[in-house]
Amino acid sequence: MSKFKLGVAALLSITLFTGCAAQGETTNSGDVSGDLSFYTSQPDVDAEQLVSAFNEKYPDVNVNIFRSGTEEVISKVMAEQEAGDVQADVLLVADAVTFESLKEQEMLLSYKSEEANEIPEEFVDPDGTYTGTKVMSTALVVNSEKVSEMPTSWKVLSDPSSSGSTIMPSPLYSGAAAYNLGVLTRNDDFGWDFYESLKSNDITVTEGNGAVLKAVAAGEESYGMVVDFIVARAEAEGSPVKLVYPEEGVPVITEPIGIMKNTKNEAAAKAFVDFVLSEEGQKLAAEIGYTPIRKGVEAPEGLKTIEEMDVLNADIKELYQAREDDKAQFSELFGE
Amino acid sequence: MKVNISSNREIVSSKALSPLFIPKKFLIWIGIPLIFVFFLLPIYRLVAISFKSDGAFSLSNYTTILQDPTTWSVIQNTLLVVIGSTAISVILGVSLAWLVAYTDLRAKKLMQIFIILPFVIPSYISTLAWTQFFGASGLFQKMVSFLPFTVPSINLYSLTGIIFVLGLSHYPLVYLMSLSVLRKIPRELEQASRVSGASRWKTFLKVTIPLSLPGIASGGFLAFLANLDNFGIPAFLGIPANISVLSTYIYQQVVGFGPSAFAKAATLSVILGVIALLGTFIQWVLLRKSKRIETTTEDKQPRYILGKKKIWIEALLWCFFLLTGIVPLISMAMTSLLTAYGLDFTLKNISFENYQFVLDTSPKAKEAFFNSLTLASITTAIGIVIGTAFAYYRIRKPNQLNKWTEISIGLPYALPGTVMALSMIFAWMEPIPGWNPGIYGSIMILFIAYITRFLILQVRGSITAVMQVDISMEEAAQVSGSNGWAKWRKILIPLLLPGVLSGAFLVFLTALTELTVSSLLWSSNSETIGVVIFSYEQAGYSTYSTAFSSLIVGLIILGFVVLYGLEAIWNRKVGKAS
Repeated sequence: MSKFKLGVAALLSITLFTGCAAQGETTNSGDVSGDLSFYTSQPDVDAEQLVSAFNEKYPDVNVNIFRSGTEEVISKVMAEQEAGDVQADVLLVADAVTFESLKEQEMLLSYKSEEANEIPEEFVDPDGTYTGTKVMSTALVVNSEKVSEMPTSWKVLSDPSSSGSTIMPSPLYSGAAAYNLGVLTRNDDFGWDFYESLKSNDITVTEGNGAVLKAVAAGEESYGMVVDFIVARAEAEGSPVKLVYPEEGVPVITEPIGIMKNTKNEAAAKAFVDFVLSEEGQKLAAEIGYTPIRKGVEAPEGLKTIEEMDVLNADIKELYQAREDDKAQFSELFGE
Repeated sequence: MKVNISSNREIVSSKALSPLFIPKKFLIWIGIPLIFVFFLLPIYRLVAISFKSDGAFSLSNYTTILQDPTTWSVIQNTLLVVIGSTAISVILGVSLAWLVAYTDLRAKKLMQIFIILPFVIPSYISTLAWTQFFGASGLFQKMVSFLPFTVPSINLYSLTGIIFVLGLSHYPLVYLMSLSVLRKIPRELEQASRVSGASRWKTFLKVTIPLSLPGIASGGFLAFLANLDNFGIPAFLGIPANISVLSTYIYQQVVGFGPSAFAKAATLSVILGVIALLGTFIQWVLLRKSKRIETTTEDKQPRYILGKKKIWIEALLWCFFLLTGIVPLISMAMTSLLTAYGLDFTLKNISFENYQFVLDTSPKAKEAFFNSLTLASITTAIGIVIGTAFAYYRIRKPNQLNKWTEISIGLPYALPGTVMALSMIFAWMEPIPGWNPGIYGSIMILFIAYITRFLILQVRGSITAVMQVDISMEEAAQVSGSNGWAKWRKILIPLLLPGVLSGAFLVFLTALTELTVSSLLWSSNSETIGVVIFSYEQAGYSTYSTAFSSLIVGLIILGFVVLYGLEAIWNRKVGKAS
């Protein structure tokens, strides 16, 4: 609050030049303290719990959180890059493809954490620029009041019986949805045919995952494609929705974490990454309601662990290179 | 902007602002750099990016984008949407302002509250309410099911739907800017026209409209800019039908985060800026010939007795308010009382636990509320002083310089919020390359962004107010020897206050619930109301976000009631004294 008052006072006196330049403190190795800017797309509450648990271990680090949607966080980082000085030290956003694009632009620091050895290889960048922190699958959400017999397959979305009562997030607005599009269209069981059949089955396209959940929970639609943890959460609260993992498998995003190349506090940034990937950090993620990524940590009630899931994968590099083309093709397919 | 001004204008205006501070020359010397730094630099940075390709100057971004047929269909959609929705806003705003200003309707104060409501309710709430209302099983179908013929259900996910919801959301801008202008038109002028044989309609067209044009054009222009930059409504209603307008298309480019994402977004923003300038031009054409009226005080006595029609008109109006203001509110309040989203609204599913969470458990909401309140208050206060001083100078001494200044002040309001926020980062992270004073990353950046973005609302409101004060009033004051402060205190401020306050009111409300700019610029300890609501929504806690929204709307309504109460007490006191 004092910072806030300072800001007001500074503004009122119209002396624009009183802001103190935030000097990055140079840290000696082994001494973990100072300021750390943490940019994330995790929900508020989760990010705060993570930071306060981290502070129990490292009380001298002052973590400043900025949270927003993945797209907004990345826009902000890119704008800071454009302005000449990225303010973020540590970044944690939705999917690996996003990190791949930052890696391509040489904005990430390579750091191979000891803790990453316990994490399945396919979720760790071999160059150490980013590592997955949890497992979020995209699965089916079903309105339990309107549907009595639970579906078992993605094909329910293209089945004539569900015509006009299905919904999905738009890849043009949501990074996670763009990732799913890339994975599914490169998968033999689905391909572009699957999306064409969704289109002919009159699927509704909406802005984001939250809107999909709302439409299905309110009974406007019966089936939706959506990220798993918000369904499990709504189900636990008593919303009339059920989460279904289709038998063909699920695309998975891993909310990777990475350190920005020009971080002003490398020691604290590395300590933070270690903490998130450690057993303690992973247990915390499970308590909050996510599927942990580290081997041997139990998944929360209602969600599958990574070992129980059939993961649909595609090559991250290829997904990154083809993303704009995929989106353009989607836009054309769903155009009027 | 040529207006008939007496030859004494020079003498008066040169002394008008002088007592306020210091010599006017000095003001200009200070003012121009400030305007440049605050308004033009961010835009300049943005334009510069649009002309850059691989680090060198090039037109390649423009050639690529203008050769892409998608761009043209997006521009076409944008023009259709903006023109259509602005027309709806103007027609609704002017008709309602006319009814409230001139007729003997009852409960005008209460109506005023409902007229402002659509502007206060967050757009994601109102679009949801409208889609539910017109849905296949919605209230609208139930209402028309009594009719002998079938009415097709209205599809809001279309261009028409976007135009309709935008127009309804922004008509309060036109209403607020027009109301006091209409009340200041002397009734004698209209009576004279009626006596000389003009019909009521002709009088309206020949006398009322031309005289109230400054207010209508001001409000129409603001509605036009608001419709141009709005993201929430075209996103929610346009995505399912795959309709893009410039603001949503720019967002799609920004989230594309390829290396050329910013260049593309900046280029499209420049195109959007050009459309905003076209709007400015139209407004200038409209006002070029406008006549100013001699100053009169606001005349609140009814001029048209509606008689037998009154009850019908009132019924019609209340139905309209019910639909536009109350239906979305009720659906929002109902959601906020549910224990989980999607349950039926029955007694066992209702509780106040969401409110308890927002008010008690979560410290975030309280902090955000006070942050937004402080931000909005200070932005409004600064706006009143700077905006009114500039408006005075702009009207009393019109010249090329301040014409361009006004356009510069208007541009940040027309840019989509995302783009505006990004250009703020470019401009303020290192105001002088290599030197970061820490403005970006503290609450200061939000103050600067809000003032930059919303100052035009105050300027338009104050210009309307100043245009209504005839120069002869000031000359009279000067001749009788009161100059400087006394003139402002005794003559100008009382005359300007109603118009200035309606601008200030808009600034305050817009700043209080602002979302897009703050969602990119906030930092720890400076969350705003919009940011908190947005993060609840994103985490799938719709019940919390609606609870917080309901509280905010409730507080705004309470604020209205308190204001009107104070006004009533004030009037009674003044009435007794005289």
